[in-house]
Amino acid sequence: MYTSRAAIRVVSHVKPTQQVRYKRDKTGLNPQLERIVSQLSVMSAGRKQPRLLKLCNEDYVKHKTVMKAWSHYRKAKIQENEKLLQKQYESMKEAVSELQNLSPELFEIANEHQYGKRFPLELRVPTEYPPRQIWFYDYFPKQEAK
Amino acid sequence: MTTPVIRSSLVLSRIPIVTPDVPAFEKAFYQYQEQLERRLMWTFPKWYYFKKGTVAEREFSKAQKYPIPNHRNVWFPKGVPDLKHGRDRRFKQDIILPKKNNDVEVSTTTDDGGESAASELQNLDDIGRPIKANSRITIFDEKNDQTSLERKLPRTLYLLIKNNNNNEWTFPSFEVSNDQINKGLHNIAEEGLRNIGGDKINTWTVSNTPAALIKHNNGINEFLIKSHIIAGKFNPTNKNEYKWLTKEEIQDIVSDEYYSKINHLLSQ
Repeated sequence: MYTSRAAIRVVSHVKPTQQVRYKRDKTGLNPQLERIVSQLSVMSAGRKQPRLLKLCNEDYVKHKTVMKAWSHYRKAKIQENEKLLQKQYESMKEAVSELQNLSPELFEIANEHQYGKRFPLELRVPTEYPPRQIWFYDYFPKQEAK
Repeated sequence: MTTPVIRSSLVLSRIPIVTPDVPAFEKAFYQYQEQLERRLMWTFPKWYYFKKGTVAEREFSKAQKYPIPNHRNVWFPKGVPDLKHGRDRRFKQDIILPKKNNDVEVSTTTDDGGESAASELQNLDDIGRPIKANSRITIFDEKNDQTSLERKLPRTLYLLIKNNNNNEWTFPSFEVSNDQINKGLHNIAEEGLRNIGGDKINTWTVSNTPAALIKHNNGINEFLIKSHIIAGKFNPTNKNEYKWLTKEEIQDIVSDEYYSKINHLLSQ
């Protein structure tokens, strides 16, 4: 923990905004200083750190194996995802170039820039557990203004 | 020269409602990492969070399990304890929170965390009711009702309908006639969906650009447009059969040729 003397040195320039009279206590610190000491003690490592982790050779090999397996797993997952994205891009490209040959009008519309397009607010972000009402069924389309 | 036949299909998906299930390997790895992290954690600074002499401090201290301190002339088979601030520095620190009156035992199995909805409805007005998570498995999962939107919550579902002509399951597909061409593929697909399934459905078209093209042997060019269902229900007017399916279920139900064309569009 922080020694009280160090704390006094650190916070000697800190002045309380309000003058408060406390009970005279020759042994302890000023309560304001005491609070700062306990706050600093939370951030300091003294007497709070655990012992160093010492693994025997066998445990170390186990740990290495686990980490290696994880990195292989992650790598495979990322590569698979990249491959999928590539495939999706290719199929989109093929579809659009074919559409240009088949129907130039549809191609023009399909490539129009959609300005101001946003995700709808009603789309939900997945949560760990479902809401009480899972799906909203009673939707009806907005009436056109007359 | 005859004009080529163009069809516009809608890949309508229901996005996941809950987070994906964690595979067994990932679960084991996360648990290992958590244990490592707990072992290397600094001691919990109790004096900071609980003021001395308060009721909260007393209750917290009472709930803790303190390790046995070192003592002369005592032999410790698992090594000499090394206590600092009431924690054995050789091991992780277990912090036990004091129990409140309305606390419930949280089941350790994460897959089903709740009771039936009926009994929960009874005490909804009670503000002090215990917090309980809803189940990730719904009644539609148990019934295996494939027409429901409330099944397979951690997965993306896709709408498939049965063609009356050849009894094959496909995405809803609509012919593009010449007088419709000025609408664009995405609007034709969305309008077609409302024609067969009623207009009480809210969807969001991802893009006006087709995501894929399927070239059929009989000269039909089928363009796929992606879309999400947000609210409402697909309610077929002519009693068409329809299903909301995950990727694996789609593979079982559609022809292999069709699946190989749409495989990469479907989310795992």
